[in-house]
Amino acid sequence: MTLPISHAFTGRTSNPLPTLIAGALACIALTGSALAQTAPQTVSMWSHWPDEQSKRGFVEERVKKFEATTPQCKVNLQFIQKSDLYASVKTSVRTGQAPDIFWLEPDEIAFAKSGFLEPLDGHINLNNLEDWARQSWSHNGKVYGLPVEAYTVELYYNKDLMKKVGITPPANMQMSQAQFTDLVKKSAAAGITPVASGVGDRPYPGAYLLQEMLLRKLGLDDYRLLLTGKLSFTDARVLEAMTWVKELVDAGAYPKSFSTLKLGESHYYFHTNPGAMMFPIASWYTGRAFVSADKGGQPQGFPLGLMKYPAINGAKCPECKTLAVGGSYVMYSRSKNKECAGKLLSSMATVENGNKWMEDVLLQTGVRTDPSRIQSIHAQYFKDLQERSVGAKFFIGTPLHYMSGKCGDTFSQVLNRAFPAGLISVTDAASQMDAACKAAS
Amino acid sequence: MPPTTASVVPTAKSAWRQQLDSLLAPPEADSRRTTWPTLMLFLVPALLVYAALTAYPVLRTFYNSFFLINDIASSEFVGLAHFAEVFKDKTFLAAVRNTAIWSMVAPFFDVTTGLLLALCLYAGVPFARFLRVAWFTPVLLSYVVVGIMWVWIYNYDWGVVNVALRSVGLGHWAKAWIGDPQFALASLMVTHAWKWAGFNMVVCLAALHSLPSEVLEAAELDNCGWWDKLVHVIVPMLWPTLLNLYILAFIGKMKVFDLVWIMTEGGPVWSTETVSTYVYKRAFNWNTFDLGYPSAIAAVWFFVVVGFVVFFNLLFRRRERLEY
Repeated sequence: MTLPISHAFTGRTSNPLPTLIAGALACIALTGSALAQTAPQTVSMWSHWPDEQSKRGFVEERVKKFEATTPQCKVNLQFIQKSDLYASVKTSVRTGQAPDIFWLEPDEIAFAKSGFLEPLDGHINLNNLEDWARQSWSHNGKVYGLPVEAYTVELYYNKDLMKKVGITPPANMQMSQAQFTDLVKKSAAAGITPVASGVGDRPYPGAYLLQEMLLRKLGLDDYRLLLTGKLSFTDARVLEAMTWVKELVDAGAYPKSFSTLKLGESHYYFHTNPGAMMFPIASWYTGRAFVSADKGGQPQGFPLGLMKYPAINGAKCPECKTLAVGGSYVMYSRSKNKECAGKLLSSMATVENGNKWMEDVLLQTGVRTDPSRIQSIHAQYFKDLQERSVGAKFFIGTPLHYMSGKCGDTFSQVLNRAFPAGLISVTDAASQMDAACKAAS
Repeated sequence: MPPTTASVVPTAKSAWRQQLDSLLAPPEADSRRTTWPTLMLFLVPALLVYAALTAYPVLRTFYNSFFLINDIASSEFVGLAHFAEVFKDKTFLAAVRNTAIWSMVAPFFDVTTGLLLALCLYAGVPFARFLRVAWFTPVLLSYVVVGIMWVWIYNYDWGVVNVALRSVGLGHWAKAWIGDPQFALASLMVTHAWKWAGFNMVVCLAALHSLPSEVLEAAELDNCGWWDKLVHVIVPMLWPTLLNLYILAFIGKMKVFDLVWIMTEGGPVWSTETVSTYVYKRAFNWNTFDLGYPSAIAAVWFFVVVGFVVFFNLLFRRRERLEY
């Protein structure tokens, strides 16, 4: 009679069932462990841009290529609207349930400060990122974001409408304060909305014109002091710039539906119905506008022009311009799939992908590029975009990248909404900003 | 002679056992009574759900309000600092003002509109059946649908309100209704009243149908006109129902969030900010992570709402029984 090994040594016979169960469990455990080693890791990734086809397509293609070349890693990619994504991520990072990779903008650097983000230094080749873009995501000497999207704040206009009101932009494409005022007044008199902006769903577009004027008036250093609460909004130069913008507001610069007009609607308002003279917006205008008209894009043959923001009287730096990092991908510090997540981000952070982004999306990127290799059907637009930045001095970051908490909220409510809507005076706006931001500095 | 310890202990023990036996014993005469194990079998699941989804979150919110919390795993005790800050926070005070205005004023609109609609139906207007369904339909719509619809209705360029004003030559009255701080809160109140008018109408209609016909007939015999009948007979008899509706609306509006968030997000310039939207903004919308401060606001507001509930109960305790 054959005995189980353990019993053979003792010579005792007993019920073999427990031993069989233990053996079976051991087999299952070993098989499970072996399977775990060979089973692919699934990286969860949440991205904004559900309705911006070119950006979405770019990300989907990068993920598809990554999965093809890295069979041990799978990606569960989801596109979610920014506000919903932020609400979900802010809750889930606290409870350890955030996705491995998610979309974020550098004004949310608080994620890194609170320890929710994994430094990317060991995961991606940082030399493939532009220096200024790397700085936007730096905290305590580490880099926390892959800056896929970058942008400059631009002033688009409708060439045909400009002709209609009898104005020709100057050769250097930068109007003086008087010329710009004239343009706004003539447009309004002709029944054309001068500036198509809306703040129905965003905390910043209403302030584009003012912020660019303040940057040019103050220059790089003082503008930074203003945004960080170290220079008062009651400074004479700030008040001068605000007073001029208020003059434009009172001349009817913004649409009457400004307060409720959403960002997507403001694009449509500018290029399709009812049509507006100018559209101050970041260079990611293309994400929504350069799709077919039936998907909300600008009509075919739309006479899109691109000019510089006006040189305000007494400007210290008329050539200054805002350059900022936008949508970026970050890794969750408690991710259980850091290896695959790191590989995915690394595969995206290449010069080749930087070029691809610019070709497909027609937008700047924080990833290094080689412009000589870029080919696109919108080459003329891209040439114009680059020309408007020739000789520019860049200020890195938008106001909301510097303002947080109460100060950021006041910026959103006062400078973004109430001031351009003509609901508040210059002195009221300045004092409210000082009260919120100087205290926070 | 006092009993010895030896004689007391067995007696106490047997009394305790007797009590336990009686609790576990099957019901005898009263068919509504049951044994404790059976009772617990039915109670425990509900109590667990209540404890996990209501009691714990509330208690945790109170607890959180004493801490600076950037992460669930690490927090810093700050004592009453958040509470001291809450009462100096101008945005919170604006939110309290707006919520108070909304809670006090809007229920009058809601109840009055509901009563008027109910009176129309009670009086037998043509197409009463259709109108009853039509007026009740907004109650069935979600706040998201209602909010989006009314944002369109209030649109400056092509919204129904402004188009109507322009078509009757009152174009100068056209406004960005929810973009103007002077009108934004009132516009939201109108939307809210529109949504809930049907509910108030149904309750008022049920109350109207239950009025004693003898009283109404007696009033008619006394040559009482329709206005006098309404003011001196119907409304006084409906008073308990109207009060209940007012208090229900009041409590609901102290917590209003959905409609504001969809239509204005608290803007412009905090003119429609309510306490609930401000708590949400501080917790999830600002680019900060602290959960302690919004918890403190929520705790303060919890006691304010409870205070009003107690106040109304005391006020009407002897008059009517209130149900929420």
